[in-house]
Amino acid sequence: MTLTNPPVLTDVNPVPPPEPLAEPASGPLDWLRRNLFRSPADAVVTVVSGAVVGYILYRLGRYVLVTGRWEIVRANLKLFMVGRYPTDELWRIAVVLAAVGLLAGLIAGFIHQRHVVAGTEPARQPLGRRLLTVFARLWPLILGTALLLSLTSTIGPTVMVTAVVVAAVVGRLLGVRLPKGSLALLVLAGVFGFGVAVWFLTRPVGWDGWGGMMLNVFLAVAGITLCFPLGVLLALGRRSKLPLVRAVSVGYIELFRGVPLYVLLLLGFLALGFFIPTWLEAPGLVVRAVVVFTLFTAAYVAEIVRGGLQSLPKGQTEAAQALGLSTVRTTFLIVLPQALRNVIPALVGQFISLFKDTVLAAAAMGFLDASNVSGLANAQDAFRGQRLAAETLPFVMLLFWIGCITMSRESQRLERKLGVGTR
Amino acid sequence: MTNEATTNDADAVFADATQVAGSGEVMIELRDVVKRFGNFTALSGINLSIARKEVVVVIGPSGSGKSTMIRCINRLEEHDEGRIVVDGVELSRDVRNIQEVRRETGMVFQQFNLFPHLSVLDNVTLAPRQVRHLRKRDAEELGMAMLEQVRIPEQATKYPGQLSGGQQQRVAIARALAMKPKVMLFDEPTSALDPEMINEVLDSMKDLAREGMTMIVVTHEMGFAREVADRVVFMAEGQIVEVGTPEHFFTAPREDRTKLFLSQIL
Repeated sequence: MTLTNPPVLTDVNPVPPPEPLAEPASGPLDWLRRNLFRSPADAVVTVVSGAVVGYILYRLGRYVLVTGRWEIVRANLKLFMVGRYPTDELWRIAVVLAAVGLLAGLIAGFIHQRHVVAGTEPARQPLGRRLLTVFARLWPLILGTALLLSLTSTIGPTVMVTAVVVAAVVGRLLGVRLPKGSLALLVLAGVFGFGVAVWFLTRPVGWDGWGGMMLNVFLAVAGITLCFPLGVLLALGRRSKLPLVRAVSVGYIELFRGVPLYVLLLLGFLALGFFIPTWLEAPGLVVRAVVVFTLFTAAYVAEIVRGGLQSLPKGQTEAAQALGLSTVRTTFLIVLPQALRNVIPALVGQFISLFKDTVLAAAAMGFLDASNVSGLANAQDAFRGQRLAAETLPFVMLLFWIGCITMSRESQRLERKLGVGTR
Repeated sequence: MTNEATTNDADAVFADATQVAGSGEVMIELRDVVKRFGNFTALSGINLSIARKEVVVVIGPSGSGKSTMIRCINRLEEHDEGRIVVDGVELSRDVRNIQEVRRETGMVFQQFNLFPHLSVLDNVTLAPRQVRHLRKRDAEELGMAMLEQVRIPEQATKYPGQLSGGQQQRVAIARALAMKPKVMLFDEPTSALDPEMINEVLDSMKDLAREGMTMIVVTHEMGFAREVADRVVFMAEGQIVEVGTPEHFFTAPREDRTKLFLSQIL
């Protein structure tokens, strides 16, 4: 038996075989054509905006490299950084910064080791790669420091930076060897060390001799450290079952969120005596500023944390209660760790805001902080009447930007590490 | 599973829900329990006694108060009227009583409610360490034993988010068991699971019943009820409509509501 082939339909609507797809051209010229000069209109937009951007970049580059009179920054670098802190005592700042570097290194090493144990990070990487990772992570800080060092004329700052780097490296090496439960200890050491550092730094000059960027950083760090616990307590208080606690929390939050920070700072400057009993010595200005920042920012932190608390499913508390955990343990072991993790971006945003707002304290209370040094430098004999604020203010902006971008990038890294939003 | 005392004379014995099966030693007692949510009465006069080592399956249409009833037993909901006594401790405003009952009562939720920021082992050891004050090593030994009991010791270092639903629910069972509870409450433990994962959870629960755990299980798994339950409780509109052995319940239900419900689901 022969099989007849089924009839083949031919020549009915013949479909030509598809043209082989043209290889997408991939040279730089082709890229330009595809992305910037696809049509005449595209070309016009590209040329015009390119010219504008090019001109701005040219003027900016020329200003930074050629016409800018950066000698005003160079001459006043110490004022910008530490105000009128006595030169003979600058080693104290070096010691404190080295201690900060050591602690940061310890924490980084410790956390790295925990990740190695958990198997989420390789134990060893080649040195070059590790340096590259550190640079990719902290380049604004590293480049900023390099720029500052290039502006110095003495050996002191270079020694200081070297000491900090060495301390950080030593901390990193030691941190790997810390036993498992050390993180709480490290945090405690940080908080305690902060107090010691303040005492150590205030010894030669007292509270109000602080200045420059050091003062801005100090106000921010002190404000952040103090406002955080207060804000968390207020957030918990606002959700309390006790009507009095709730009322006090709500009253506090709404009061401080409803008034301008600058006015509060002025009040702290001018009228704090009203609230302080006469037999008590009124605190120094820096302390007043810290108090105002703490009270003000705590209200915002409270609302951010409350959002985090509300985002937790009810089942989490119920599961903890069903296991017999007390309310306090449920709050601190189950609820807060998750709630805080979820609000890291908003919290860090608030802290960045606080850091920048420290210049308001200087404006209200007359501190010689980084922003006010600008005015002072331009009033010096060598620079008076030369309108060099166009040099000094951008320099101050750069200092703040380095701090803020570092905080922002570190918070994003923390979010990734903690898996926020992935769950 | 020690329901020798529950005679085949189902009609005579089980007309009264307060009659206990088993050894006769009462573990949980609910008397005229009423619970309201605003104007809505979720439980209107519940009477139920449960014996030590008894397995009671609670079924009924949604909104009938099944979950509310077992959530009252460990005070996740506060009842408005009546008495609830768990192993001799009456639930009252007294926080110490509440804590004592919760220590002795394990609960497994429909949505697992594992703690996502803690590893599986830490989920299991948290309460033994914080509430029973076990040392870390002892707690971890206990935790691993509990994970072995639900057959997932190899997942101990993972986080809940990395596990399947069935595995998560078994971790939740291990977490509750680590407190060495006298009673286990299950609130629709398989309702949020994909079908292929239901059996692994039910198997763990059967193991538990076989070991003599006192259990109250709210579920729609009729096969489980038939196989494991000493008694089946049927609830509707906040009341207990009918109580009986599985044989009685699935073969010769008395109440019309029960018949209607069974005809809808079987």
